[in-house]
Amino acid sequence: MRASGLVKRFETTVALDRVDLVVEEGEVRGLLGPNGAGKTTLLRLLFGLVAPDEGEIHLFERPLGAADMINLDGVAGFVEEPTFYPYLPGRVNLELFAELDGGADAGRLDEVLDLVGLAARGGDRVSGYSTGMRQRLGIAAALLRSPKLLLLDEPTSGLDPAGARDMGRLVRRLAGDGTAVLLSSHLIGDLENVCDSFTVLRLGRVVWNGSAQQLRDQAPGSAYRLATSDDARALEIAEQHPGVHATTSPTGELRLAVQGRVDAYVLDLGRADVAVRRLELVVSPLESMFFALTTDVEVDPAALTELIEAALAQT
Amino acid sequence: MSATHALRPGEAVPGPAPRQHGGVWHVYRAERRKLATQLSTRLLALFCVVGPFAFAGVLKIQTGSPADTLFGVWVHQSGFALSLVVLSFCGAWGFPVLAGVLAGDIFASEDRYGTWKMVLTRSSTRRDLFGGKLLAAMTFSVGLLVLLAVSSLAAGLLLVGDGSVVDLSGRALSPGHSLVLVVVAWLLNVLPMLAFTSLAVLLSIATRNGIVGVVGPALVALVMQLLLLVGSGVWLHLLLASSTFQDWYALFTAHPFFGPLIVACIVSAIWIAACVGGSWLLIRRRDYAGTPVSRRPGWVVPVRVAVGSAALVALLAIASNWGPAGDTAAKLKASLEPTFNNLTLLQQRELGRTVAPGAKLNVLTSCSRRASTPKGPGDWICTLDVFIPQPGAVPFNQTPVTYDVSLQSNGCYKAESPPTFVGQQTMKDADGNQVVNPLFVVYGCFNPL
Repeated sequence: MRASGLVKRFETTVALDRVDLVVEEGEVRGLLGPNGAGKTTLLRLLFGLVAPDEGEIHLFERPLGAADMINLDGVAGFVEEPTFYPYLPGRVNLELFAELDGGADAGRLDEVLDLVGLAARGGDRVSGYSTGMRQRLGIAAALLRSPKLLLLDEPTSGLDPAGARDMGRLVRRLAGDGTAVLLSSHLIGDLENVCDSFTVLRLGRVVWNGSAQQLRDQAPGSAYRLATSDDARALEIAEQHPGVHATTSPTGELRLAVQGRVDAYVLDLGRADVAVRRLELVVSPLESMFFALTTDVEVDPAALTELIEAALAQT
Repeated sequence: MSATHALRPGEAVPGPAPRQHGGVWHVYRAERRKLATQLSTRLLALFCVVGPFAFAGVLKIQTGSPADTLFGVWVHQSGFALSLVVLSFCGAWGFPVLAGVLAGDIFASEDRYGTWKMVLTRSSTRRDLFGGKLLAAMTFSVGLLVLLAVSSLAAGLLLVGDGSVVDLSGRALSPGHSLVLVVVAWLLNVLPMLAFTSLAVLLSIATRNGIVGVVGPALVALVMQLLLLVGSGVWLHLLLASSTFQDWYALFTAHPFFGPLIVACIVSAIWIAACVGGSWLLIRRRDYAGTPVSRRPGWVVPVRVAVGSAALVALLAIASNWGPAGDTAAKLKASLEPTFNNLTLLQQRELGRTVAPGAKLNVLTSCSRRASTPKGPGDWICTLDVFIPQPGAVPFNQTPVTYDVSLQSNGCYKAESPPTFVGQQTMKDADGNQVVNPLFVVYGCFNPL
C-alpha cells in the first residue's frame, strides 16, 4: 500500500497535510498519534470512505479509483470500532458481509468464529455483545477475506490484556504469511511488541517514520517509579549517575528519568545497602519518544519527569 | 479471559481464501435476506395476506358497503369488486405506506447502525451496493403488491363469489372478463409502486433518517391527494405520482381510453428515473465518516424545511389550474347519461322485466358545479329528466332525477340520489333474492384529456 501527498480538509480544519505512507508485504506498521492527529481520517481515506482533497493512494500497485468504483479486493479491516446489525446474530452478520464478497462457505465462517473465540456465541444477537466481543467479531469479519492488506483502527480497544496479547500474536502470524498490516493506535504500548515500523502523526502531519529499532535508538529515555529502604540515600546516589535524574513527588514517591540503562544505578543502590523494594517502568523508551514527537515538550532527562506525571495521570 | 474466549493466533487464516467477487447480485441477496428477517417486512406480508380476508369477513357480517369508493357498492355481490376496492384504497394510501416501510430505511439504517464503513470496505463497489439495495427494495415492493392482488382476489372469490362486476359504464361484465381486467388493473399499479419506492429510497439517502424515509412517501401521497382536489387544470394533476395509481379505471369503461394510462406510465418512469438518479448522485459523492449519524437539536433546519415545503405546496396549488380543464359539465353529462341508461336497463332486467337489446331511455341531462367555476373536481349536481312513456299520457311523463355527483380530477365520479326515485340500496330481484340496486349509486369515468 502506498499513499503519497494525502491532504484532507474538513471546512477550515486540515485533518491531513501531505501525508506519505508505505506498507510493504509482510510488514506490520504502527500508525501512532494522539487523539485528533488524523489516524482515523487516514484510514478512512485508505478504505475509500472519504475522498482525499489531494494526493494518491495505490493498493497492490493499482490506484484506489473514484469513489463509486473503489474495489477493495484483498483489503480488510475496520475504522474506529467495528459495527454490525444489532438485530441479527453475529454469525448472520458475518454471512451478510461475506455475501458482499461473493459468499463464504459455512466451514470458513465456523473457522473464523472459532479463531476469535466466538464460536459459542455466534448465534446470539449482536445487540447482546460486549465491546470486546464486537471487536472480536470485527476481526473475524476482516479475516473472512483472507486479506493481503489488513488495516485495523485501535484493534485492542475493548480487549482484555490476554485478548490484546493474542491479537498481537495473530497479527504477527498474518504478517508471517505475507500480509501487510497497518495498526492504528494512540497508545504505543499496545503496539510496542507487534510492529516492525512506525509512522507517527501529529496535527495531520507525519512527524516520524522509521523502523521500531530506529525509534528505540532515538528515544530520549525511560521513566520509573522507585521505592527503596532509604529514599534520601537513593537520591544522593542518583546524582552520581549523569543519565539518571531522580526527583521526589509531592506524595514522597521517588521518580527516575533515565537516559540509557538503569542497571548501573540499581547495582550502586545495592552496593550502598539501599534495598530496592519496587522498580516500576512507567514510561518505556518508545513511549518517551512518542511523547516527544507528539507534544511540545523537549524531551531531556528533566522533561521526562513531566512525562512521568502525564503517564501517572493516565494510569 | 477464559480459554474458550481467547483469540487463537496460532490458527490464523486457515482454510481456502474466500471468493472476492462482490457485485449487484450478491448485494441483492444480502439485502433480500436482511429485509426478510425484519419484523416490519414480515408484518407487512402478513397484513397483505390477512388484510383482504379480514375485510371480506367484516363485510360478510354486515350489510353496509364502502360506497364512497368506486365499485364499493358491489362488494357484497362480486368478489372482483372487492379486489378493486382494495386496489382503490391501496392506490390512495396503502402503496405509499408499503413503499415507505420497505424502502425508507434500507439506506438510512446503515447510517443509524454506522455500518456503511463495514459494507463499503468489502469487495462490492458503491455502485453494487446502491444497485443491490434498490433492487431488493423494489423486489419486495412488487412482491407485496402481488401478494395483495392474489390475496384480495382469493378473498373476494372465496368469501363473496365470482358474481358479475358492474363496470364504470353500467355494464355487467362476465367473470372471465372481470378477472382479466382486475389482474391488468393490479399490474398497472406496479410502475407507480416503484415510483414511490424510489421516492422512499431518495428520502432515506438524502436525509439519512429512517423516519423521514418511512413516513415521507405517505406524507407526499397525502399532499398529492390534496392537490388533486384543487384546481381544474389537467397537466399538474397528471404529473403527480399519486394520480398514476388511479388511471386503471379507464379499463372499466365501455370505450376504454388509454391516454391517461400511457401518461401515467411515462410519469411513473420519470419519477423513478429522477428519484433513482438523485439518490445515486448523493451516494456516489458522499463521504462516509463512519460514525453513526448524530444530529444537533435545533429549529433552524426543521423550520427551513417546513417553510420550503409550504411554499412548494402553495406553488403547486397555484399551478393546479395549468392546462385545459379535465372535468367539465359536457364531459360529465356525456358519461353520466349512458351510464344511467345502462344501469336502469340492468335494474329492469334484474327485476325480471323484458328489455329489448339496445334499448335506450329518453333522458335529458344537465350538470352544474356547486362552486362558482363550472369546471374541475368537486361537488356537482346533475339532473336527469327521464321521459317515461305512460299509457294514455301525452306528452310522456317527465320524471326528474337529481344526482349529487362527487367528481375526481381523473374524471371518475360517484353519483348518489335520494331513494325517492331510485329506491333503496338493495332490492329484490325476480327470484326474490336481495341484490344491489344498480341505480342507488352510479359510478362512472370519462377521459379528462
